[in-house]
Amino acid sequence: MAAPPTEAGPRCSDDALVGVGDHAVVSRIQSQAYARMVPLNVSLELTLKCNIRCLHCYNFDRDGDGPASCSGGAGAPAPELSLEEIFRVLSELRAAGTLFLSLTGGEVLSSPHLFPVLDRALELNLAVQLLSNGTLLRPGVAARLAGYRNLLGVSISLYGATPEVHDSVTQIRGSWRRTMDGAARLKAQGVAVRLKLIVMRPNVHEVAAMRALADAAGYPYLLDLTVTARHDGTRGSLALRITDDELAALYRGSLRDLLPRGDRVVDEAAFPCNCARGNCAISARGDVFPCVSVPWAAGNVRAQPFGEIWRRSPVFQRIRGLEIADYPACAPCPDKAFCSRDRGAAYNASGSYTGTDPFVCAAAGVARTVAEEDARGAAAGASHVDVRLPLAVAGAR
Amino acid sequence: MTYQRDLGLPFQTLDEETIVVDPRTREVHLLNDTAARIWELLAAAQSVDELTRALGEEYEAPADELRAGVEELLAGLGGKGLLAAAGTR
Repeated sequence: MAAPPTEAGPRCSDDALVGVGDHAVVSRIQSQAYARMVPLNVSLELTLKCNIRCLHCYNFDRDGDGPASCSGGAGAPAPELSLEEIFRVLSELRAAGTLFLSLTGGEVLSSPHLFPVLDRALELNLAVQLLSNGTLLRPGVAARLAGYRNLLGVSISLYGATPEVHDSVTQIRGSWRRTMDGAARLKAQGVAVRLKLIVMRPNVHEVAAMRALADAAGYPYLLDLTVTARHDGTRGSLALRITDDELAALYRGSLRDLLPRGDRVVDEAAFPCNCARGNCAISARGDVFPCVSVPWAAGNVRAQPFGEIWRRSPVFQRIRGLEIADYPACAPCPDKAFCSRDRGAAYNASGSYTGTDPFVCAAAGVARTVAEEDARGAAAGASHVDVRLPLAVAGAR
Repeated sequence: MTYQRDLGLPFQTLDEETIVVDPRTREVHLLNDTAARIWELLAAAQSVDELTRALGEEYEAPADELRAGVEELLAGLGGKGLLAAAGTR
């Protein structure tokens, strides 16, 4: 066996694994998959339907007419994949080398296909995690999920520490309570639960409380500060982004411990992410994307076998061949070491995989400014601040 | 006595190694190529004799060494909870 690469391909929070993500063996095989370009991690969107109407939803504007252009380009939208089509895709994924399958939506628990897909994934020995809003985790559902031997866990999105704030984002009264109850039911059943805390203007004042809530309940969590433009091309979600001043205040306050230090080496080996290397996503309509956040279709599983798309797609070939110099704004940027380089945000903001998102760029600048302030403070004898994690990925515990 | 792997456990083969994930214990195990072959055979219930015989047809090694290796691996897999309950035939 060839020695695994010494440098793991940087991974984004979208495919962080619940339960085993920090395991040393997982890190090693992720590096191997990255180097060998094996689609070890695949996100599969079972449906675009959702039972809540989040203001920031990246799929499409939930207050609009529907997902007309979401994930599918121009023309009438294609139907969502049938169960038969999903079963075929799962077999193709298995054959291509997939081990970790993230089932997402829309709301994954609103899909009638969920349990048949879990059954099939079990037969195929795929490790599954669910990404959910948690509101449909009724007692019977939680118990049924807990019975799956191949279930890694469930990532549950939370948008506030209080019902008022969370429900104002989901636009569904009672959703916070149902989400928290659903998470508790899973935990009680022994299922690994991780919260995804998405920071935006409506909840920016509750960041510390959200973290405290997760800690008190014993849930690991990821923090994401980047609300992106939607896959349907609408940009109303961007109004929810926190401002530079709010971000600076967070880094000086409740997120001090997560402030990037700026000591990451961003060289040719470290710059690419796992898109189209060890990771990809399949939309509810069968489009194959480099990752769940980047709706740049490399092909469609209705037209081609997955393995053929993975190996031969010009889109994936292009991504795999990119070098830092191909990112015109990033290559000379002095803030690279402070930047999350969120490909989804960049693609949705600029329409280009190698483009930029002004929010992400500004956030890197804010992080640098605050980190330099801290460094000057430390040099002057101020108390030390532990700064270690990048902007958008902040696992606790 | 026969042995069979826990058929519900996720696994995949990458670079001649097999990765076995146990979501319940949140442990991940790596099997080398010989162990991976035994893991593959354990899709159906197998006795130590049957496993040793099958490996003997594929690997050039003395039978007693193969048998000892099979027994050691089965003990390891069993200790980690990766086998279904042993059966009899």
